[in-house]
Amino acid sequence: MKTYINNYASRSCAGNTTELMNAIYNKQTAITIDNTFMEDTPVGLGKMQYDNFFSLLKDVVQEVLESSNLKDFSETLLIVGSSVGGMAESEKHYFKDKNYTNIDPSRHPISVITEELESKFGFCDTRAISTACTSSANAFLLAKRLMSVNAYKNILIVGADALCYTTVCGFYALSVLATQECTPFNVNREGMNVAEGIAALLLQTTATKDSIEVKGVGASSDAYHMTNPDPEANGAISCMKKALDDANVDITMIDYINAHGTGTQANDRVEALAIEKLFISAPPVSSTKAVTGHTLGAAGALEAIISCEVIKRGIVPPQTALQEAENSNINLPKEAFKKDIHIVVSNSFAFGGNNTAVVFGEVE
Amino acid sequence: MKVAVNIISAKKIYAKQKIDDLNEKSIVPKMMMRRRLTRNAKIMLYLADSCGFRNGKIIYGSAFGELGATVGITDAILNKTPISPTLFQNSVYNSAPSYFSLLNSDKDEIITLSNGMKTSKDVLKCAALQSLISGESIFCVVTESLDIDRIDEVNNCAHYLEAGAGVILQIAENENGAKELQSSIDEGVIASLDDLISLVNMYEEDKELKLFIEL
Repeated sequence: MKTYINNYASRSCAGNTTELMNAIYNKQTAITIDNTFMEDTPVGLGKMQYDNFFSLLKDVVQEVLESSNLKDFSETLLIVGSSVGGMAESEKHYFKDKNYTNIDPSRHPISVITEELESKFGFCDTRAISTACTSSANAFLLAKRLMSVNAYKNILIVGADALCYTTVCGFYALSVLATQECTPFNVNREGMNVAEGIAALLLQTTATKDSIEVKGVGASSDAYHMTNPDPEANGAISCMKKALDDANVDITMIDYINAHGTGTQANDRVEALAIEKLFISAPPVSSTKAVTGHTLGAAGALEAIISCEVIKRGIVPPQTALQEAENSNINLPKEAFKKDIHIVVSNSFAFGGNNTAVVFGEVE
Repeated sequence: MKVAVNIISAKKIYAKQKIDDLNEKSIVPKMMMRRRLTRNAKIMLYLADSCGFRNGKIIYGSAFGELGATVGITDAILNKTPISPTLFQNSVYNSAPSYFSLLNSDKDEIITLSNGMKTSKDVLKCAALQSLISGESIFCVVTESLDIDRIDEVNNCAHYLEAGAGVILQIAENENGAKELQSSIDEGVIASLDDLISLVNMYEEDKELKLFIEL
């Protein structure tokens, strides 16, 4: 059985999906310079507007349901990808009380997201993946394989992560945060912008008139370092090769690459090297994190939606904030341009050397 | 959809607080690396070693992830002291299998699941799927390490603060003799381990165990 993305919805610091795509094509970053999390050190963050993160999460999933051909999600498997789960809520209690007494243990881990959604929508079963920044990209790996053996006809993938002190201050401790808007792939890039996001996609085994196919997924491990990628880019190349093999498409058939492109020194150098080594036809590449920031566990799902929109619109996203590319051997467009886009690769890389690439394409 | 899997090896371990002997010096001879490991990583490495797993696809699970590292970070933020970069890199849920990957040069697919008290059920389901797709044997393992200061402020269910269970399984050629998983939990072990503990208990009674798993 094949796997089709039939409906989706998202929220990020750039707004809903339509607003996000407008921002991407107009090179308008949605990053704000903020000192909420670190009083003395303003940093660039991707902040969303909401009163309650979980209410917004349910609204996004409700949008997907209402746009779908389903009456409810009773015959749908939910797969969540998240890196922090309910951390923000735990922090709030701990910083106020200076003890754990008011922390609800069931609302701290990743499963708070599946439980919140399960209680409202009544899915037939749930899974939750937490492989840091590849979490929701790995949801595609699981979903495609489950559908290939006809285990499920409907799977909802939800990538969701809220900003919290742990991630903002933690990335600062690693010296990879940018104090300004991030500038992926630039020679003089400063670092990344931590961001929050919610992305939900309904995958089905039957195509509809507006479907995008999940053609292939590949995953690998660097086995090199906990936070730095393999400088030879072997892990990144391996996952992309596996995804292309799984999709049964040739390297020359790729029309656009949505890069992981966090804006950190290590990621961008290695990812560019991987793309340079693998794609001799030099397809256009850009990182939309220059607009959204890095939404961590939600990034794979959010960038899957961006990839679907790119295929449907036939417009290549430019590399926002690109001045001078560090690696001139990859094709980073400075402006958006029209092109027949049939197949897109989306990359996600994470702590622990966890790598995932997903191939999306037009329905044949 | 149900599939039948052969259980190749299985092991469990738990303790009221810190598990004493995880054979760390033998499994991780380099002291600098050993010192960086999280408790979940040490438990996972012990279970992998005990099950005879060296390299390949892993499905790892933990309901609460790396609580020790998370607490260290939030304490540093609260007290306005610097956060250790090692603590932050260790705080992600996939730290334990990532350390396994580093130590064993395992470049294969490693997926980490965290779904509350059904974590070990999900780990078994995903491992069965991975074996069905690849035909390979899969190491599935769940660990929890809740032994942090003042855990009593939030813990009223887990008697054993460190626990883990690991299983190597492989898709069976047929369903002949396959059994359903019989729940036989060990009282006081956190429920996120229930299905794997039950499986280990069945395996200890039947070393030729073949099991049905619903995908």
